[in-house]
Amino acid sequence: MNDALMIDVAGLHHAYTHGAVVEPVLHGLQLQVRRGEFVVIMGPSGCGKTTLLNVLGLMLTPTQAERLCIAGRDTRGLSDADRTALRRAALGFVFQRFNLLPTLNVRGNVGLPLRLRGAVADGQVDRLIERVGLSAYAHKKPAYLSVGQQQRVAIARAVVGAPALLLADEPTGNLDSANASAILELLSELHREQGQTVVMITHNEQLAIKADRVLHMRDGCFVD
Amino acid sequence: MLALAWANLTHHKLRTALSALAVGIGIMLMLVSRGLADGSLAEVNQRMQSVNAELVILPAQDNIIFTNGAPFRASHERRLLTLSDAHGPLATAVIPVFFGQVQMGGQQQRLFGVDPAQMPLFLASYRVVAGELFDRASAFADRVRAGATAPASMSDPAYAAYIADGLELVIDERLQRVGNYQLGDQVQIMGQVFRIVGIIETGVAGRVFAPLQTLREIVVAGEPTASMYFVKLRPGLDAAATADRFQSEFAADVRVELKSEYGHLLRASFASVSLYLNASSGVALAACFLFILLTMYTMVIERTREIGILKSLGVTRLGLVRLSVHEALLISLGGVAIGLALAYGVRALLAVIKPLLTVDFGGDDWLIAVLVGVAGGTLSALYPGYRAARLDPAVALSRE
Repeated sequence: MNDALMIDVAGLHHAYTHGAVVEPVLHGLQLQVRRGEFVVIMGPSGCGKTTLLNVLGLMLTPTQAERLCIAGRDTRGLSDADRTALRRAALGFVFQRFNLLPTLNVRGNVGLPLRLRGAVADGQVDRLIERVGLSAYAHKKPAYLSVGQQQRVAIARAVVGAPALLLADEPTGNLDSANASAILELLSELHREQGQTVVMITHNEQLAIKADRVLHMRDGCFVD
Repeated sequence: MLALAWANLTHHKLRTALSALAVGIGIMLMLVSRGLADGSLAEVNQRMQSVNAELVILPAQDNIIFTNGAPFRASHERRLLTLSDAHGPLATAVIPVFFGQVQMGGQQQRLFGVDPAQMPLFLASYRVVAGELFDRASAFADRVRAGATAPASMSDPAYAAYIADGLELVIDERLQRVGNYQLGDQVQIMGQVFRIVGIIETGVAGRVFAPLQTLREIVVAGEPTASMYFVKLRPGLDAAATADRFQSEFAADVRVELKSEYGHLLRASFASVSLYLNASSGVALAACFLFILLTMYTMVIERTREIGILKSLGVTRLGLVRLSVHEALLISLGGVAIGLALAYGVRALLAVIKPLLTVDFGGDDWLIAVLVGVAGGTLSALYPGYRAARLDPAVALSRE
């Protein structure tokens, strides 16, 4: 196990099974991401990007993996409870559809990862809300925010616990170009400030310019 | 997790309120039916304890709540009076009671037929607040004791003249207040018109008293029978041992009990009714908690994506079950609070529309309501929580 690597994956296969139909999605992927690296994965719809991100995020158990080390731990054979604990401690997610809890306001959503860890927020939730420019909306529920504001809340929630690895699945996919640029700027700023490893999926070539490395996927494989 | 549960519930205010109301209605039904049973039994027992006697003689096979008619004959009374030890008779007074029924104050009342001469033993420390403990009925009772007999036929005009003095009632203040009765008011009982001649403080054994001799005349043609006896023992006797002594003198169809045990006998007689009430309440509560289960299950189905979000944030399976339980518990405890409020409201309402009913909520009723709420809430949340816990996070997040 290489401690310099945040992600160390080899021989990764995954197939979805629908009754008798088996649909292979990932075909022997190999991926290594250094700690602190900002990696963008691009590719057409259905090429397996989101499946890969779910595997990296420990939300999906792959059909087969020769090596699957995340945040310094071999995750093969981990129990559901251990995977959940690792996810809570080391991972942050930003989704295309924001995935905020509609029942909680901005402060509640941003502070939730800390509460789940049993940590005391100690002002960092409010600082982060201010950092993403939403202080005036701290008591608003997601339904009362614009899509750009909702994604900023989602980013704040993803980074509030300073996770070692931030996984972003098309975070600008639902945004107009102005909001998309602002969100990408925010992500890259936070990456610079907090030094997190970021793996981001996007369709947008222009957004990839902030990345340290751009990987292209097609039909479940990385291509040159 | 509790804050998240609270946020989820307040996000669906109407559904939460309806679920809590459903539980509240179930809790109210349980409390009121228990309260009515407990209150009525406690009141009857308390009133029976006011009689100045130590033993009660009852028909063995009868449910004492529904004891009516007159299974005891004069021979029973004679044996009770004559049973002796070296120091003399064991009983200083044998008090026969002849039960009847009368419709007064808007509901059926047990009519206590007692000898006017023995009324002071029933009155004990309670006062006569108006009129007197029978008027001409005492003279009627004396005539009967002296051997006077009624004309053979009730249609004989002489019969009306014979029994007229005995047609008197004494009632308690509560019944007087509820029925707005006044001295001199007439009440029809078993084809005869009785007149209210006395009002006594609430708390004596019966709410309505009539002369024993009158009821015997009307119901059993003057036969000296009784529905039950109270027995006042000679001072210094051990009541329990003396009860055993009396019991040994009678066949198995007679039951000799300590008056202090009357409450237990009442409860035992009420057991089948209690079972029915508890079963009814249980079914009502089960339906209420099924309502919660359905609510929680619907929430799980509706919130599949949210469950996926929570899982992505690192909420464990147990955490999701706990979230479901917390939500159900909050609904249940809200339902308990509503149920208690409704139960007290119903009690206040009954006090107005059925003032003779006694609804008694003991401390244990509160405890039972809370325990039922907690247990029901927890159980009804387990399956929805289990379903939530089993959801695959990646699949849950992909749901629309």
